[in-house]
Amino acid sequence: MKRNGLKYGVLVLLLAVVAYNSVYFRKLDEVKAKGATSKFDAAAYAEAFWKTKLLPDSGKAVELIALIQQLKTDKDKAFEAHSHALSIGNLRYFLVRGTGKITAIGDHDVTVMLSNGSEITIATEYVFGNAARDASGLISLTEFDNTMDLNNVSAELNKIIRNRVVAPFKASAKTGQQIRFIGAVELNREHLHTDAIEVIPIRI
Amino acid sequence: MQIPLQTYRPVLLKFQSLIALLILCVAIGLLSDKFFTVANGWNVLRQISVNVCISVGMTLVVLTAGIDLSVGSVLALSGAIAAGLLRNGIELPANNLYIGFTVFGAIVAGLLTGSVLGGFNGWAITRFNLPPFVATLAMLTIARGLTMLWTEGFPITGLGDSFTFLGTGWFLGIPLPVWISGGIVLVVVLLMDQTRFGRYVYAIGGSESAARLSGVNINRIKMLVYTIAGGLAAVGGLLVTSRLDSAQPNAGTSYELDSIAAVVIGGTSLSGGRGSILGTVQGAVIIGVLNNGLVLLNVSPFWQQVVKGIVILLAVIIDKSSSRND
Repeated sequence: MKRNGLKYGVLVLLLAVVAYNSVYFRKLDEVKAKGATSKFDAAAYAEAFWKTKLLPDSGKAVELIALIQQLKTDKDKAFEAHSHALSIGNLRYFLVRGTGKITAIGDHDVTVMLSNGSEITIATEYVFGNAARDASGLISLTEFDNTMDLNNVSAELNKIIRNRVVAPFKASAKTGQQIRFIGAVELNREHLHTDAIEVIPIRI
Repeated sequence: MQIPLQTYRPVLLKFQSLIALLILCVAIGLLSDKFFTVANGWNVLRQISVNVCISVGMTLVVLTAGIDLSVGSVLALSGAIAAGLLRNGIELPANNLYIGFTVFGAIVAGLLTGSVLGGFNGWAITRFNLPPFVATLAMLTIARGLTMLWTEGFPITGLGDSFTFLGTGWFLGIPLPVWISGGIVLVVVLLMDQTRFGRYVYAIGGSESAARLSGVNINRIKMLVYTIAGGLAAVGGLLVTSRLDSAQPNAGTSYELDSIAAVVIGGTSLSGGRGSILGTVQGAVIIGVLNNGLVLLNVSPFWQQVVKGIVILLAVIIDKSSSRND
């Protein structure tokens, strides 16, 4: 009986020590207030990046016709010189610019014939992925604590593009219209298709 | 004088895993100059640490003639619970209370999660006399679903340096996960060789009815075995989560297969009662070296699956033929 009591006593003491070292208590509103100030604001980051980095830097975009030509003749050099990506893999992103004539307006994209006769599409429905975020190479991985924040920046940038670039473009685009555009392009280094280039528009 | 093969047969059978490992290492070493490097050695050991933890638990289960298909999902849920509590704590808005978890607390919570789920497996198997295959298959989906619910399908990241040290740190020049898995192996080897519990586990696997007639509390031992297996899967989950600094909702997918493979290749009989923890460790090393070798040799991931499957098949065939000859 005495031995059992001692056993349970030691067990309770052990549990108490474990519990004491496992948890701590705070007032919820204090934690929330602190969290609000330290939480990463992807929308604010994307807005600042859009205004102070991406748009001012878009002048450095590579001419799309020249890029396509270089991709056909020296793929590795073209990727080396003009592409960026924050993740490892074959998907790389290019910041491009070009001029051309709208030849077709579809539900999901607008087809543009470049001055050399080749056709590309400008996405107007499915603006997703990391092209807008990564193409300029102006964002560094070290700025983020975790991948979720990084992905949220892409989502916010794509939202900006849908609202501020795609919406007015869709409203005013007409077949035969001459346009100048700056955008981001995603290309696969291993499975390269230069005949099906889709541009995520950044400025039109 | 020619010595007949039969003379060597017992020795060959006893050291079959070790011989297979040796042949594998030599073959990969000849084909890849990166294999026999110190960095790659540590990399392989670090990678197999998780499988060793799970496989040691699986060995106990298989020794009782059972199987645990839920270890991969239990690993994921344990890691996710630990990461979620560490990162977000528990909010009780009605009491304006926030319960935060220290790294130690999160680890304890993860271990408890795995042990409780393992214990539930054992309870379902012994209480309702369910085949272990079915009970643990159900747990596989339950735990995976709970992981998805807990994480809402997103990784939980940013767990801090103290937590990630568990999976990425070094101690006395050896990766911490290797120390942890080595410690687990040592404790379980002692448990199996030096205690009544170990003898009961072998007895149940050898002949459950004979063990029952000898007065062994079958249900209690099985409950303990599945609880330990769940707890060790949780250790694996904590190592994976810590190493990645992230709890992935799909972590541990198909880990149960690697674990069963390690157990079988290590010479533990799937019909129970025969096998050893050290054999399983050898099996885990073989699987780890095989995985590493296939990657170094740039073999397609699809072919890697095929090769692993063939190796498991061969191990079972050898096991069966050696059982017949015993």
